Amino acid sequence: MPCWVTSSRRAALLALVLGLAAAVPSAAKVFLSVDEALKLAFPGCQVERRTAYLTAEQVKRARALSGVEVPSALVTYHVARRNGQPAGVAHFDTHRVRTLPETLMIVVDPQGKVSRIEVISFREPEEYMPRGAWYQQFLGKRLDRDLQLKRGVRPVTGATLTARATTEAVRRVLALHQVIAGAGAR
Amino acid sequence: MTLFRVGVVSVAALLLCLAAAPAVAQSNDERIRQLEREVAALKEAIAALKSGEGQVEDGGRIAELERKLEVLAGEIEKMRIGEAAVEADEGQHGLGPAASKIYRTERGLSIGGYGELLYQNFDGERDNGTASGRVDTFDLLRGVLYFGYKFNDRWLLNTEIEYEHAGSEVSVEFAYLDYLWRPEASFRAGLLLVPMGFINELHEPTVFLGANRPDIERLIIPTTWRENGFGLFGEAGPVSYRAYVVNGFRGAGFTAAGLRGGRQKGNQAQAEDLAWVGRLDFTGVPGLTVGGSAYVGDSGQSLDASVGTTLIEGHLEWRWRGLELRALGVQADLDDVRELNAALGFTGNQSVGEKLQGWYVQLGYDVLAGRGETALIPYARWENYNTQDEVPAGFRANPANDVEVLTLGVAFKPIEQIILKVDHQNYDNAAGTGVDQFNALLGYVF
Repeated sequence: MPCWVTSSRRAALLALVLGLAAAVPSAAKVFLSVDEALKLAFPGCQVERRTAYLTAEQVKRARALSGVEVPSALVTYHVARRNGQPAGVAHFDTHRVRTLPETLMIVVDPQGKVSRIEVISFREPEEYMPRGAWYQQFLGKRLDRDLQLKRGVRPVTGATLTARATTEAVRRVLALHQVIAGAGAR
Repeated sequence: MTLFRVGVVSVAALLLCLAAAPAVAQSNDERIRQLEREVAALKEAIAALKSGEGQVEDGGRIAELERKLEVLAGEIEKMRIGEAAVEADEGQHGLGPAASKIYRTERGLSIGGYGELLYQNFDGERDNGTASGRVDTFDLLRGVLYFGYKFNDRWLLNTEIEYEHAGSEVSVEFAYLDYLWRPEASFRAGLLLVPMGFINELHEPTVFLGANRPDIERLIIPTTWRENGFGLFGEAGPVSYRAYVVNGFRGAGFTAAGLRGGRQKGNQAQAEDLAWVGRLDFTGVPGLTVGGSAYVGDSGQSLDASVGTTLIEGHLEWRWRGLELRALGVQADLDDVRELNAALGFTGNQSVGEKLQGWYVQLGYDVLAGRGETALIPYARWENYNTQDEVPAGFRANPANDVEVLTLGVAFKPIEQIILKVDHQNYDNAAGTGVDQFNALLGYVF
């Protein structure tokens, strides 16, 4: 005969655990399409999709600035303007986490700082995905020496590979942003 | 006009390439690289045409080529990003439109694993000067293969097959099905990892410091602790939770040294007694995890005694720059221990603990933090536990189960997925029979 509860103390304890779980506010983890992500990042803006064809020299410079791999000379990005004024630039970076890819949208504001980061897709098991609050620590970051895991970016146990891949993606995007802006493509 | 014809032919070839892509046995990456090469060639062709614009009869054709170039660049971007690049449509099953879209096509097999090779060198003497009798060992402790399969939008399978001691023991560490309903609440059933402590759910060698797992998370929280069951899991804002019903411990396996022998591991598990286990974690601040868990259920199973069993655990982790701080405390309370001892024939100091308690604090610092992937982490761990903190009247506790362990060591990660851990463990117990040991562990995860 199954016996699930042997005392009221244990039942109360379990109720407390479940009650706390039920009482927390709802904030869904969201996967987005590109269009939805852009609308979320740039409400009320005109968004123009552009393509940059980097020279070998520009790729080399982006690698040097970021310190990470720049896998392609073809870079697609989205430039947003609000009332004719620059509102930011969104890059979609797809990279391998462990064996499977993750795609992030990283938005760079007109001052060259990260203003938004969204997980678009994550194909590894979700146990390897940091919680939403972890991604928020990239907001306001520039491309500098502090933008490194275990320096200005705090690691997360159990998702170390994701944390490193994400940090490298942010460095890569900020470097590409600088290189493209330097070429007068903005 | 030769260049122009080259451009047109290239576009035609490229379009053919795209149309034929699914039938060609190439990886997505290879196809992207090929398309990029074609686009680069086209771009050069257009630039050459532009430079000789005066000779071009129809400038509109150049504009058309440029338009096609942009279309192709867009196609490459879609291939990189995957299904997220397509527009969202109607939501399904209560999910937002994008969520249903992203889940729709991302299915298939995922493979991973980890392994641990452990050398242990024991002191020839106990603390009281008598011979320890311990034999040094060099063991392929674990080789684990992970297989996951995503059937469709909602259904996932996760399994872990473990070969211990070079294959002399084979077991399934977990095998469960998930139904992903919504982030706040999804369902899980199968052979589950009991969600208590740090190590039980996250036990890959690169995730924790110490060649050996903390004793507290082996003897009181019996890692790797897995039982058959079902339940809910999810997250809401900064809080995540898991709440399962599982088959209870088999109390007949408990000993004075702890609860480890009570695990049923999904093997024809006795299910006369079930148990509830729940866990909450707060991760609202990057680098910080604070949480707790509780397990409540009977462990009597086929015995006459109920052996009510409660475990309460709290944990904290703080990671800041190169710093890794962990603290964990756990207490287990058992009922009917006198009856359990009688059923098992335990007398004197052999009694199963009526109360077991322990805590540990661990500190590590990566001296290479922020300089890339390589890590060098000196660490220290202090453990204090007693698996017979209380025993029933008429029995006595064995002072050898009142233990303090100081672990000092260093971990080296040449890359994130490989680790070498070397440490010394100083064991002290109230009986003076502690045996110190030196350990070296080579671990990998993929």
